[in-house]
Amino acid sequence: MSGTRETAGRSVQRPDFMAKLTGAAQYTVDIGMPGMAHAKILRSDRAHARIVSIDRTAALDAPGVVGVITAADLGGLFPRFGHIVPDHSILAEEKVRYYGEPVAIVVAQSAWAAADALELVRVTYADLPDVLDVAAALAPHAPLVHEHTYGGTADESFRVLTGAEQERASSNLAHEVVLEWGDPDAALAGAATVHTTSVTFPMLYAYAMEPYNAVASYTGDLHVISTAQHPFMVRDDLARVFGLPLSKVRVTSPFVGGGYGSKSYTKVEPLAAIASWAVGRPVKLVLDVEESIYTTRVDSAEVTMTTGVDSSGRILARVADMVMDSGAYADNSPLVLAKAVNRCFGPYRVPNLRVRGRSVYTNTSPASSYRGFGAPQGNLAGETNLDQIAERIGMDPKEIRLRNVVGPGEELLPGKRGLDADLAADLEMLVDSLRGARSEDPHTGIGFGMSVSDAGAFPVSTAQVRVHVDGSVTALSGSTEMGQGSRSVLGQIVAEELGVEHSRVTVLQSDTGTTPYERTTGASRTTVLVGLAIQRACADARAKLREMAAELLGTPIEAITDVAGGVRTDEGKELGFADIVRGWFGSNAGEVTGVGLVRRDGVTQKMPPFWEVGVSGVEVRVDVETGVVDVEQLVTVADVGFAINPAAVEAQDLGAATQGLGAALFEELVYDGAQLANANVVDYRVPRMSDVPRRIDLMLAERGDGIGPYGAKGSGEGALNPIGAATLAAVARAVGRWPDRLPLTPERVWRLSCEVAPSQPAHTAPDYDGSTADAISDGTQT
Amino acid sequence: MLPAFALIRPRSLSEALSAISDDDVPYSGGTELLLAMRAGLQRPRALVDLKAVPELRRIALLDGGAEGTELRIGATTTHDELARDAVVRDSFPMLARVAAGVGNARVRAQGTVGGNLCFAEPRSDLVPALAALDASVVLIGPGGSRRVPVAEFILGMYWTVREPDELMVEVRVPVRPVRAHYVNLRITERPSVGVAIRVDADGRCRLVIGSVGEQPLVLDYDGIHEVDPDAVSAAVEPVPDLTGAEDYKRHLVAVMIRRAMAELETGKKQ
Ligand SMILES: Cc1cc2nc3c(=O)[nH]c(=O)nc-3n(C[C@H](O)[C@H](O)[C@H](O)COP(=O)(O)OP(=O)(O)OC[C@H]3O[C@@H](n4cnc5c(N)ncnc54)[C@H](O)[C@@H]3O)c2cc1C
Repeated sequence: MSGTRETAGRSVQRPDFMAKLTGAAQYTVDIGMPGMAHAKILRSDRAHARIVSIDRTAALDAPGVVGVITAADLGGLFPRFGHIVPDHSILAEEKVRYYGEPVAIVVAQSAWAAADALELVRVTYADLPDVLDVAAALAPHAPLVHEHTYGGTADESFRVLTGAEQERASSNLAHEVVLEWGDPDAALAGAATVHTTSVTFPMLYAYAMEPYNAVASYTGDLHVISTAQHPFMVRDDLARVFGLPLSKVRVTSPFVGGGYGSKSYTKVEPLAAIASWAVGRPVKLVLDVEESIYTTRVDSAEVTMTTGVDSSGRILARVADMVMDSGAYADNSPLVLAKAVNRCFGPYRVPNLRVRGRSVYTNTSPASSYRGFGAPQGNLAGETNLDQIAERIGMDPKEIRLRNVVGPGEELLPGKRGLDADLAADLEMLVDSLRGARSEDPHTGIGFGMSVSDAGAFPVSTAQVRVHVDGSVTALSGSTEMGQGSRSVLGQIVAEELGVEHSRVTVLQSDTGTTPYERTTGASRTTVLVGLAIQRACADARAKLREMAAELLGTPIEAITDVAGGVRTDEGKELGFADIVRGWFGSNAGEVTGVGLVRRDGVTQKMPPFWEVGVSGVEVRVDVETGVVDVEQLVTVADVGFAINPAAVEAQDLGAATQGLGAALFEELVYDGAQLANANVVDYRVPRMSDVPRRIDLMLAERGDGIGPYGAKGSGEGALNPIGAATLAAVARAVGRWPDRLPLTPERVWRLSCEVAPSQPAHTAPDYDGSTADAISDGTQT
Repeated sequence: MLPAFALIRPRSLSEALSAISDDDVPYSGGTELLLAMRAGLQRPRALVDLKAVPELRRIALLDGGAEGTELRIGATTTHDELARDAVVRDSFPMLARVAAGVGNARVRAQGTVGGNLCFAEPRSDLVPALAALDASVVLIGPGGSRRVPVAEFILGMYWTVREPDELMVEVRVPVRPVRAHYVNLRITERPSVGVAIRVDADGRCRLVIGSVGEQPLVLDYDGIHEVDPDAVSAAVEPVPDLTGAEDYKRHLVAVMIRRAMAELETGKKQ
């Protein structure tokens, strides 16, 4: 497919490679502004308490201290943020809702002076009864994390997506989503086999290498340089805080050290911004890892999934109940929940369905987006349940999937885009690779799974390309390069469209003051949606250049066609872009700007813009004496339509799958009372180089079936989604018993193998008794 | 965030000795100390940097390494230096392997033998390995120097016999024809269980269980056949943590003893 293309389809080297390798790349932590002061955050040391008083006199007298800011100082400002529910206090007002919540900001000449003065701020609290987990939060008469609701969501499209907004706070339910069609109860009653699975997905931290940081300068206008993944969304939140026009708020994201969803939406920017507003100087705020973990974590989930199949293994109905622990503030959890609900039942034909999802407020650190966006939580239940049914009816786990999988073009969600992928073919590739390399060791097992996600988010994207007087090109995009390689791919599209060398294209990104609007950098959307905007911007520039060439040459516009790097007339006369720009402006000056716009229209009319595919599998080896699980093989299939940069696609799949293995085998934030027991990199165990699977098979499936440039679809999250269930199934097959939670730490796997008597057949869960959907919610709603 | 402190850089052992006190503490790689300071657990007035004290940084065989003599490992020897040292690799291969397996590359490059022993974080690989080899610690203070067997040096979690005005100078390991082996299980960064075993030419043997309890458990036997893994597993006092509850750690002790013994016999990883 790449044969006819020059740059698209090649694994070009990333343009930021040397800057990152040599340390020349500037991240937020490297940035200073003249006259800058430094902020440190005083954080709550309890889970739930009324703030009786804050005494800052001693701190204000401390050497180097410039100011101490509390919620009481924010008169005239809108003191909260939150793009779906504006419930998130910048600084705790009246009460604290979780250990680690910002209570005051100390600004000083140096970060050290600020840190020393923190200890001098005296906060008097009156403890309130707390709810530290979902069970406590949903218990009758539970103390409320939020006593009242917050009107007016920031963004109409989120309101449509989530249907959020309650009348009054009568419980700790942050958000509820129900998806239903057909008559699942009747279908289950008539099924040949009904099987229920309950699983727990752990509380995680996304662990971007770079913590959250921001530098802010308020001078009437506001400029914030931060680690934001979605600078335009942050701009909107900040404009509301200060009541400023969008044109007066500039948010810049320099190099970003990884995001994985954890840097989407507003984090520490309001803290730095109000500090600068209060002290009248630029202020820098740098968080450490522990503070970052308390800033945003991943929703944990308890999911119960029931499926009924007929005697041939066809799915008749699925019923699921999902409860997520979203922590003290909603942040993006309502959307994560909505996505988990429509991603949990998998890419299968489900004629009768009911999924109920609830996102619950607790007195723990707030949860928000995470790579895979609800899919890792939901998919774990859906795929595990399918594997267990296959085992019960004696069917091959591949076969049960092939019987039920949605085919190309088929609708998965009513009214949504038909599936733009061939999952059956992908699954055959995957299983061939996994089974082909099977080892004989009795303590090994394989597991695999599939997912599709309604990806791309809301299709609004804009881009500009500037063709310079020497024929080189600058492309502008508001989408963020966070390490995923969008700078390479967007540059490749420009090079391909205009027929210029990739090395003569520069891509500048993520500055709301200078780059055009981009809604978000998430939902694996950049290659497809920004790619389309870039293509359109190139087409616009080319149209202008053709007109200029026609004027210059005095030929009719119809006589002019595009060639690589310029135009040609009917008579065979060629003009390069440099000739046209120079000729038209009449001097060695000027440039031509093309603009590309994408909205819900044309190829992006139907939602979602594309389905992101996840097809992954593993082989594990279990040391049954110690419970240690080694991953022998990892296989992924990248069903991306067309790989504009194959090496980048493979790296995304390997990274996503490895991150998935983190949650499957090692990672879990553990609360010990109000506080986390492992809020650091030593005790929160992420995958190491030595944990990377022994054999790795990353396959590309390019069928040109996406709406993006050259038939591309997005990637970056998909490969993670099925890894949890795949690992769980592989371990179950190796030890002869099904686990019911992740991560599969050595201790848990050892306990699991202890429960299996040598000759005992593998355990299966009890039958569906018609009540599982309510199993978790017993007596929770009053 | 690291609080402010003074840095003192003595050039000799005597300078170092006169510099240390309750508030002015020894500092080598800083891999433990700086973390403890960042977490607000310790706030020394000054750090006395031992890295430029020549007497503390050397590895040498005394008297040419004849039997009955000793290997001396200076306190500021890093894990990497220990792992790479030709003499250590040749005569104390278990020690070299243990040092090569500590933590991660940064900890091995900066962390020192003295820091590992003096901090007395219970999850140490060096402590059981050195105790199995019957090593001793040499301490020096205002009242002169003293030798303490490694097995007696550690009194508990973050607690040793060292007084605040004493420095650890070196570790001494007897040169004897022994067979020794060490196995551990690392679930997070630090080991959850470590088992060191040493068998002498006359068949007598020592078993040391590290990382599981607050202190290493040292057991001497007349012969390896006397070792009963289940009895040892019943005798340890595991400290439960995020990597495992008490029963799991007890179970691991028996498993790791069996593996250490089998690997010692066969020379193959189990
Ligand atoms: C992430 C991580 C993983 C680790 N994993 C392992 C592992 O797998 N196995 C293992 O065995 N260890 C492990 N460790 C521990 C590691 O070995 C020690 O951190 C290191 O050896 C300490 O040496 P240091 O020079 O950095 O000590 P420092 O931090 O400089 O000092 C530690 C303490 O010892 C005192 N001290 C230091 N030198 C002397 C001296 N000569 N005399 C008197 N007092 C002294 C200091 O005052 C301080 O109290 C790990 C540590 C970390 C941080």
